[in-house]
Amino acid sequence: MTVSRVLVANRGEIAVRIIRACRALDIDTVLAVSEADRESLPARLAGRTVCIGPASAAGSYLNFRAIVAAAEGTGCDAVHPGYGFLAESPELAEACAEQGITFVGPKPDQIRRMGNKLQARALARQFGVPTLPGSEKVHSAVEAAEAAKRIGYPVLLKAAAGGGGRGMKIVAHPRDMGEMFASASAEARVAFKDDTLYLERFIANARHVEVQVLGDRFGNVIHLGERDCSLQRRHQKLIEEAPAPAITEQLRQQIRQAGVEVARDIGYENAGTVEFILDQDAGAFFFLEMNTRIQVEHPVTETITGIDLVQEQFRVARGESLRFAQHDVSFRGHAIECRINAELPREGFRPDPGTITEWCPPEGPNIRLDTHCHAGYTVPIFYDSMIAKLIVYGFDRAEAIDRMRRALEQFTIAGIGTTLPFLHFVMRDPEFAAGKVNTALVEELIARMPGVAAAGVRLAEA
Amino acid sequence: MNKPLSTLTDDEVRQIALLVETLERSTFDYLQLELGDLKVTIGKGNAPPPANAAAPGPYSAVQPAAPVASVAPASAPVSAPAAEPKLAPQPAAAQDGTVTVVAPMIGRFYAKPEPGAAPFVSVGTEVTPDSTVALIEVMKVFTAVRAGVKGVVAEICVQDEQLVEYGQVLIRIRPIE
Repeated sequence: MTVSRVLVANRGEIAVRIIRACRALDIDTVLAVSEADRESLPARLAGRTVCIGPASAAGSYLNFRAIVAAAEGTGCDAVHPGYGFLAESPELAEACAEQGITFVGPKPDQIRRMGNKLQARALARQFGVPTLPGSEKVHSAVEAAEAAKRIGYPVLLKAAAGGGGRGMKIVAHPRDMGEMFASASAEARVAFKDDTLYLERFIANARHVEVQVLGDRFGNVIHLGERDCSLQRRHQKLIEEAPAPAITEQLRQQIRQAGVEVARDIGYENAGTVEFILDQDAGAFFFLEMNTRIQVEHPVTETITGIDLVQEQFRVARGESLRFAQHDVSFRGHAIECRINAELPREGFRPDPGTITEWCPPEGPNIRLDTHCHAGYTVPIFYDSMIAKLIVYGFDRAEAIDRMRRALEQFTIAGIGTTLPFLHFVMRDPEFAAGKVNTALVEELIARMPGVAAAGVRLAEA
Repeated sequence: MNKPLSTLTDDEVRQIALLVETLERSTFDYLQLELGDLKVTIGKGNAPPPANAAAPGPYSAVQPAAPVASVAPASAPVSAPAAEPKLAPQPAAAQDGTVTVVAPMIGRFYAKPEPGAAPFVSVGTEVTPDSTVALIEVMKVFTAVRAGVKGVVAEICVQDEQLVEYGQVLIRIRPIE
C-alpha cells in the first residue's frame, strides 16, 4: 500500500496544513477546489488543482462522487478529507476503498459506528467507560418527558445523528418539553435528515475534555494526552488548550485511559478524538462522543508532544505501524490555541466576510499560525468563518497565556471584522487565568466585555 | 439576483451574511427575499434552483441528470447561490462569435456513446439546443451534455476519455439562426 499522490479534499487552513505534511513526506498533492477557491493559498501551494464544482459546498466539497472522480482522474492513490465537509462520511471512505484509493482516516464501519451518537454511547458503556445518565431513542415529547423524569431535570435533548450543536436543546422544566422536543427534532431533520432524539442529563458546571488517540492497523492504540475545549459559543469551540488545566493527576490519567479504551476496543485506525464531559461538581467524567478525523485543535497536542499528527496520519494510512509506544510519548509545557474568525464580537459575533486589506501576524519564538489568509485575500461568504488559528507554547500555562496575549496584541487584520478583541479580552480575564473554565464561561465573558453587553443579551435569546 | 455582487453595498453584504447565519440556525431549507430590484436566495443545500439559471446570452446551463451531493451534514457551511453569478462558469460568447459548452460537473469526458461508435459530434456537425454532444461519467453514472444552442460545431476542445473539471470548456459552437 503506497501513498505517493494525495487528493486534498478540503480548503482553507487545513488544506495548507495537509499540503505541508505531504511535502515533508515527499508525497505529491492535488487540491480539490470549488470555483470560489481556485486562487486560494493552498491552490498555489499544491502540485496542481482540480475544480470539482461550484462555490456552493453541496456541489463541490460535499460531493463525494466528484472527490473520487477527481482523485481517479488525476492519478491520486489517497484522499485526505481534513475536517468538516466529508471527513466523517462513510460513503466517501467506502467509495475510495472500492476504487482502490487509500482514505486517510479510519475504516468506514468505524466512522459509521461512532457517527450515530446513540450507538457510540452504547459501545462506550459496553467497554466499561462511563456515560451520562440518559435514554434510548425517544419518539415523542411524552416519551421524552417520562425519560426526563427518571433522569432528573435539567436534561439535554440531542440528535442521534448529531454534531455541531444542532438538534441540541436544554430542557430545564417539564413544561418546556413539548416546545423543545418539536424544535430539536425539526433541527435534526433539517441538518441530518434524521430526527431521532435521545436525552442526557445536563451538566451545568461542565468542562469539555477530549483525548487525542492514534491507532494503526496492527491494533496498536496510544493517546497523545488531552485537550480542554470548554471555551465554546453555541457549541463552537473558540479557545483550546493542552494539557487540561486544574484537574488532579489521577483524574487526568483516568480520562486518558478511558479514551484509549474506547479506541482500542473498536480497533481504531488513524487519528481520532474521544470527547468527555467533566462534571466539576461531582469530579466525574462521562463519554460524550468520538470524532473520527483530525480536529481543528490538533496543533495544541502537536505543540506539547512534538508529534506531527497529520504526518502520522499518512504513515499509518500507508500501512506502517506506530513509530512510538505510549511510554515514548512525553508531554512538555502548555499550549493554547485561539481561533480567529471573521466575525464581529461586538455585534453578536455576526460573520463579516470581505477583503483583507491588511494582514500583519505576530512572530517570534513559540508562536505558530495556521492560516490560508493574507493581505488582498477575500474571505468568501460560502464557508466557515474561521480565518486562522494562533497557537502558542509556554513552559507553563501562565507563560502561555502571557505569550498569547502579546501575540494577539501584535496581530493586525484590517478590512474585515475579527474575533481578535474578544480573544484578547479572554486572555486578560482573571477567571480564565486561574483555570476556572467551564462551558458557560464564554457567554459570561461576552456579557462582561465592554461594548458587547447588548449583543450578549441578543445572543442569549437566540 | 439581477444586481452583480460588486454593486452591493458593504451594508447589503453584511445583511446577507447575517441572513445566512440566521438561516443556518433555523429549521428552514431556504429563504427568498425580494427588496426592490435585489433578489436573494439563500439555501442549505436543498434550495430551489437559483434564479440565475436563466443567464443572459445563448448559453444555457445543462441540467445534470446524475444524482448530485446528498445531505449537508452538521458542519456543512451554508451555501448562498444568490452570489454565484459572479463565480459560476458563465462562458459567454467568445470573441470569435462561438458559444462554449462547459462541463456541468467534474468527470470523464466521452465523445462517443460507446467504444467503437461514431462520436456524437465532430467539427462541422449541425446541432440543435437539445443535441447531445458528449457524456460525462462520474463513478459509472453518465450524464448527457447538450449543445444548448443551434449551430455548427467549430471545435472540440478536449480529448476523448479525458478528465474534465467543473466549468471546463468542452466544445465551441458557431450559432446559426
